[in-house]
Amino acid sequence: MDRLLGIETEYGIVAEGLNASDWVSESMALIRGVPGPQVSGWNYHGEDPRRDMRGFTVKHLSTNPDDAKFDLPGSKPMSREEERNDRVLANGARFYNDHGHPEYSTPECRMLRDLVAHDKAGERIVWEAAKKRSEQTSRAVTIYKNNTDFHGASYGTHECYLTLRDVLPEMLIAMLLPFFASRCIFAGAGKSGVENISGSEANLFQMSQRADYMAIEASVDTLHNRPLVNTRDEPHATPSRYRRLHVICGDANMSEYATALKTGTTAVVLAMLEKGAEPLLRLRDPVRAARLFSRDITLKQSAERENGTPVTALEIQRIYLDQAHRYLSEETDEDIRWTLAEWENILNVLARDPMEAADRLDWVAKYQLLNEFGIEEKLAWNDPHMQSLDLAYHNIDPEAGLYHALLQAGEMRTLVTEARVQSAITCPPADTRAFLRGLFVERFAASIRAIGWNGVLFRHNEEDLLFDMNPLVEDNVRLLNEEFQVARSLAQVVDLLQPGSEIKRRSGGEENGNAC
Amino acid sequence: MEMRAEERRQLPVQPVEPARKEGDGDGPGKPDVKRPDTSDLLRRMRRVDPDAARRYRQRSGE
Repeated sequence: MDRLLGIETEYGIVAEGLNASDWVSESMALIRGVPGPQVSGWNYHGEDPRRDMRGFTVKHLSTNPDDAKFDLPGSKPMSREEERNDRVLANGARFYNDHGHPEYSTPECRMLRDLVAHDKAGERIVWEAAKKRSEQTSRAVTIYKNNTDFHGASYGTHECYLTLRDVLPEMLIAMLLPFFASRCIFAGAGKSGVENISGSEANLFQMSQRADYMAIEASVDTLHNRPLVNTRDEPHATPSRYRRLHVICGDANMSEYATALKTGTTAVVLAMLEKGAEPLLRLRDPVRAARLFSRDITLKQSAERENGTPVTALEIQRIYLDQAHRYLSEETDEDIRWTLAEWENILNVLARDPMEAADRLDWVAKYQLLNEFGIEEKLAWNDPHMQSLDLAYHNIDPEAGLYHALLQAGEMRTLVTEARVQSAITCPPADTRAFLRGLFVERFAASIRAIGWNGVLFRHNEEDLLFDMNPLVEDNVRLLNEEFQVARSLAQVVDLLQPGSEIKRRSGGEENGNAC
Repeated sequence: MEMRAEERRQLPVQPVEPARKEGDGDGPGKPDVKRPDTSDLLRRMRRVDPDAARRYRQRSGE
């Protein structure tokens, strides 16, 4: 893809004998145990999640009032830096505590298969840290890569896409709403029951884990009143040129294919927008449509277009696919070609018989697995036993998780080799700026004063130097990566960047730009 | 003493081989499992604590 891509996953955590009030301290302890080279000290300078891409800044972000019950009375408030407990790893990833969830953010990737490999590498890294925590405390620690606790709490799997700033926010939102409302037909992770509803109404299996939690069309909020389109304006790149689309409505996929298709199709929609495409349909109520679509696994359910005519999720996706073919027919990018072909393929499969996609899509794989069990045991979809099996699908322990059991039985298709996943645990992608971040962590950790997505502040010859990576978001960062790869000392790195470079001297605590 | 990365974009960029050689093909591929064994899957399903979800509580995240 001709853009940077990333996935941020908040994992569910359980430590034997403890409860939700302990998850912040447990997540922090788990993160401290992450193996391998690492640097602590994320630099939050320049980050403001209240900034909206539509040109304003909200005073406060919404918080979930129910969540306060888990705060321990009398506990000493921590600073953001203390609570987050950030670690930056040698593969360029960020690993930290987000409100009681170990969160793993992949390094920036450019190729879909790199993104899949790094998403899978994240599972392995989190699992290794969990095993270490279990050994330290003699308490079993279980980690789930999902998005619901079945009691009203949700936690996110966010996607990040660098996109050009000259696409107007209004156009971006209008284009994305019908697409996000309907993409659960291939991107959903599947869910037993419905959030905060009991009885026969909730006795159903739905495609999306997150649709129940989406409340409005667009906003900067992420914790409460969640929007289908998140309008946070934090580009982590040169702000005059780029936006970062921060997608919060998606599910945590275990399937490699679903991860690739989810991110590939979204990147294709952005590519169309950058080429001047405009939305071909608008829904009267996209949030309601997202729920309606999610709750009908026959894919027959329709929602109302703005003009009142009905349209199904499959029809919406076909409209986008056809438009993509028109706008991107000349594209030679391998990932775009793959995405267009597989998008068409999966829509055909879903139109014929969704169950044929059980070897590729999480929701179908999970449905088949649980449905047989539920029939045999006479269990309703919202029975806690069925929801326990749903949870077990997302257990990242390869010896206990049900997705892993399917994989090991040869029932799930894969996109990347085991060697590529293993490599991603320690190596950053070679074609993005994550390579430079990873190299700093691997070789010069002791000199790093602060590190972030868009820069590294480091100490050299009694000076603080800021390496500004804001502009390094395009493909030719490969050249710089190659040059850096041979540098064995910090002096060589500094020499490479001089005279005249992305490096800036910082003295007396002076803030320089918004890098790092 | 400041030069932004845009200036580097003017340099010729030679295509380079990916750092990792990959064995993956174009389409989704099945893992190399000769005889699918679903008995472990059923064993795992039977081992799942039926009350795990009833007890499962998480903090609200993003």
